Parts: sequence; C-alpha cells; structure tokens
Amino acid sequence: MKRLLLLLATFISVAGSITVARAETTLEKISQTGIFTIGTRTGSPPFAYVNKNNEWVGFSIDLVETSILPLISKKLNKQIKLEKKESAPNTRIPLLTSNAVDLIAETMTDTQSRREQVDFSLTFFATGAQFLVKRGTPIKGIQTIAGKRIAAQQGSTNAKIIRERVPTAKLLEFPDQPAAFQALAQGQVQAYTNDGIQLAGLKAKAPKPDEWAIVGEFFSYEPYGMAMRKNDSDFRQVVNVGLMEAIESGKYFELYEKWFGPKGEVPYPLAPETKRFLQMQVVPK
Amino acid sequence: MTYNFDWSVLWRGQSGLWLLQGLVTTIEISVVAWVVAFTLGIFSGAVRTVSITPLRWLASFYVEFFRNVPLLVWMFFWYFGVPPLLPRPVQDWLLNHGAEFWAGMFALGVYHGARFSEVIRSGIQSIPRTQFEASVAMGLTTFQVYRLVILPIALRLIVPPATNESLNLLKNSSVALTISVAELTFQTRQIETYTARAIEALTAGTLIYLVLCVSIATIMARVERRYAIPGLIARVKPA
Repeated sequence: MKRLLLLLATFISVAGSITVARAETTLEKISQTGIFTIGTRTGSPPFAYVNKNNEWVGFSIDLVETSILPLISKKLNKQIKLEKKESAPNTRIPLLTSNAVDLIAETMTDTQSRREQVDFSLTFFATGAQFLVKRGTPIKGIQTIAGKRIAAQQGSTNAKIIRERVPTAKLLEFPDQPAAFQALAQGQVQAYTNDGIQLAGLKAKAPKPDEWAIVGEFFSYEPYGMAMRKNDSDFRQVVNVGLMEAIESGKYFELYEKWFGPKGEVPYPLAPETKRFLQMQVVPK
Repeated sequence: MTYNFDWSVLWRGQSGLWLLQGLVTTIEISVVAWVVAFTLGIFSGAVRTVSITPLRWLASFYVEFFRNVPLLVWMFFWYFGVPPLLPRPVQDWLLNHGAEFWAGMFALGVYHGARFSEVIRSGIQSIPRTQFEASVAMGLTTFQVYRLVILPIALRLIVPPATNESLNLLKNSSVALTISVAELTFQTRQIETYTARAIEALTAGTLIYLVLCVSIATIMARVERRYAIPGLIARVKPA
C-alpha cells in the first residue's frame, strides 16, 4: 500500500511538472520536415469530409491547399507537402499543443475562451446554430425545445448555449455528426442542433433530403477560424495573408461557388453582408 | 514556449460538480452492469462445464458471440439497434427514462458477462475432479453439487482475475460516452469545452479513475485474504 501511494505521488508530481518544451517555430518545423500537417474533419460536409470516391476533400481543405500551402512553399523556398490528420472538437487543441498538427482547418468556431489556448486566423466563414428536424415536427426553434430531447455534438459551442439557455431541454451529446444524425433518424431525439451550414450539409447528404427540415433563427454566432499554436505570429501572418489574398483575388469566391453554389455540394447562397464582412477583413498590402 | 497549466479550472465554475456527477454516473452504470455481468458469467460459466450438450452449446455461443465483437459496436447495437424492435409504448417510456444509460449498461454487462464466464469456467475447471465425484457420491444432484460445493470454491479461486475483469468493466464504462451517457470521461470533455483546457481536465479524469481502481483492488485484496480456504488455497504471505 505504501508503495502504491508513493507511485501515485510520483505520478502526480510528474503530471504537474510536464512542460511541453518546443524549440522551433511552426515555420521552422515545416521547413525541416517538408510537411505541413493540418487537422481536419472526416464527417463535416462540405467543409471537410470523405466523399463517395473515398477522397478527403472540402471547402476548408481547398482553402488551405490553394491559398495557404503555396504561400508557405514560397516563403520557405521549397516544395512543401500537405498532410491531413483527423481532428474532433475535443482533440483539436491538444493536437495543436502537442505539435501533432500545425493548423486546424475544419469548422472550428473562434471563441474568447479558445483564444486563451490557441491563436485564430481571420474569420473564413460565419454561420449560426439551428435545428435539424424531421419535416412536420412541432419544433420551430430554440423557443420550442423545452422538455424535448435534443442532440448536439460533444464539445461544440451549441451544446453549451442550449444548456445555459434552455436547461429543461434534455440534451444528448454525441461524439460526431453521423452518430447524432443516426439518433435523430431513429427517433432517439426530436431535433439535432449544430451550425446551420453543417445541418445543410448533412441534409444534402442524407438518403432522402426532403424528409428533413432546418428550422429556427440562428441562436448563436459561429465565426469559423483556422486555429494554430499560440504566440507564433510569423506563421499566423502567412495563414492570414493567404486567406486575405484568396478573398481579394476572388479565389475564395470561386471555391465558395464550387462547394456552396447552386451546383455545389451544399447550395447555400452567400449573404451580401457576409461577403462584405469577409472583404472588410482584408487589410491593404 | 511552455504550456501554462491552470489547475484552477477544475474547481472554478461548475467543473467540480460535473466531475462529481460524472463519477456518480460511472459508478452507477458500472455497478449495475457488474451485477448483470457477474450473474450471466456465473450461469454461463457453470453451464459450460456440465454434461448437458445443448446447454453447453448455448453458453459457448453466448460467450463467443459477445466477447468477440468490439464493445463500441455493442454500444451502438443496444442503443440504435434494439429500441426499434420494442413495442412503441416501451420505446417511448425508455426514451424518457434514460435509454442511453440502460443501453450502455446492457452493452457493458452482456459483453463483460461473456468475459466473466471464461474466468468462472477456468475457476471451476481448476477444481479436482474428485470433488465432483465425492459430492455426487454423497447423493447431491448436479445443481446441488454446483451450488453447495463447486461454485463456493471456484468463486474463491477466481478473485484475482475477477478483480481484473471488474476493473476493466469500470474503465470500459467510458465507451458509453459515444451514446451520450454523461459519465466521467464525458464530463472531463465537457470541462474542456468550457475552459479549452484539455490537459488539466484529462489529468483530473485520469486521477479519479486511478484512485477508484486502486481502491477497488485494495478492497478485493482484503476479500481474497478473508475468504481464502485454509489448506486448500496456497497463499504467499503479503509483503
């Protein structure tokens, strides 16, 4: 027993004194390895998902590939290879801090508390939370969910808001989008809440899209940013300039058309004020 | 640059309450699942050693079927697969009375029951054949032989591997978070969501599991000493 306690004490003191030492900056790391690693999703169409042909694609991935990767290659003066790793709401910050990935490019909402842990790029997409329901369900928005069974994604900002604003709603949290959708399809829950655009993606990919409806006003503001390790302003500058150039040159809007246009994966017209907001983030050269 | 630890996130706000709630749920689901697992394990483990062939086959089928499919798959099976097969009123009742808890409990209990079964079978088979024969010679029925002689000895023999299985069951209860059971691991993730501090939250969870498991192991070590049959079970003096 005494030995056990000693072991426990050792464990605690080791855990308490770990310091994640890092000698190099992100750009130095990329230059040395020749690989730029991003953390992204596999089930969040159309931002990042595995498509029918088993390719890992999406709007966020395209943005990195066409706007940020070439800039890094140019800056480091060598060809850099892009590598993708899967990330999820509860793994993305540890993935960054442990150096497993260099950038989170998926559907991560920029928040003040997250900014205490990581740095964010400028906002590359803005949306808000809504509900996905079976067509004809009485749920019409956040005002009508009291006492109802609502699914949300674990570690998402939406779950947090529902818990605070409608504590009487029975919140069930699933680790990923497919499990939450399964629960909705089976009737385990009456609605599934997530960012409106993600629900639109889910609906478009469902076997029978017409069976589902997206309801309610946005009950939250979800600005998507790309996350990176804190206090690495050189790398952050490259990411931000890449995004700004994409918006300024119109490349961003081409990609938007490809994924969210009338013929895209998830038709979702760009609101004029969102477009204006994106353009206003671009600072002069 | 170093990672700056901020352990105060663990007691600021609601974190402490969440950890406590998670701990309670983990204990609840594990205890109920353990009862199910142990009952199933004793029955199927004992049945696998009797000479009634159809019963033995049935028990073997249960063990091989349930222990050879990943627990995660069983979680989804009991949560997503089983409810639609039930009558509508039962489904509705379940959905409003913690369907995810019961599904998770069944998944854990039935899966670990199959594993307990093997532990118990090995306990029974380690008892010398002469014990069976002597019991039968005294006029006991097969059921009486098992209830009065074989199982009481077997259960004493298997305390160490059964402790091992029980600790596994407790730790495996964390898989239930995939079907939205708000147990301890789920709550550590919730703290991470609110504070964006994953390492602190995970360390808290780790320590709670560790303390819980070490306590159980200590209690079981006492049980083992207390119930050892003098002369029958050889013991090494504790260090």
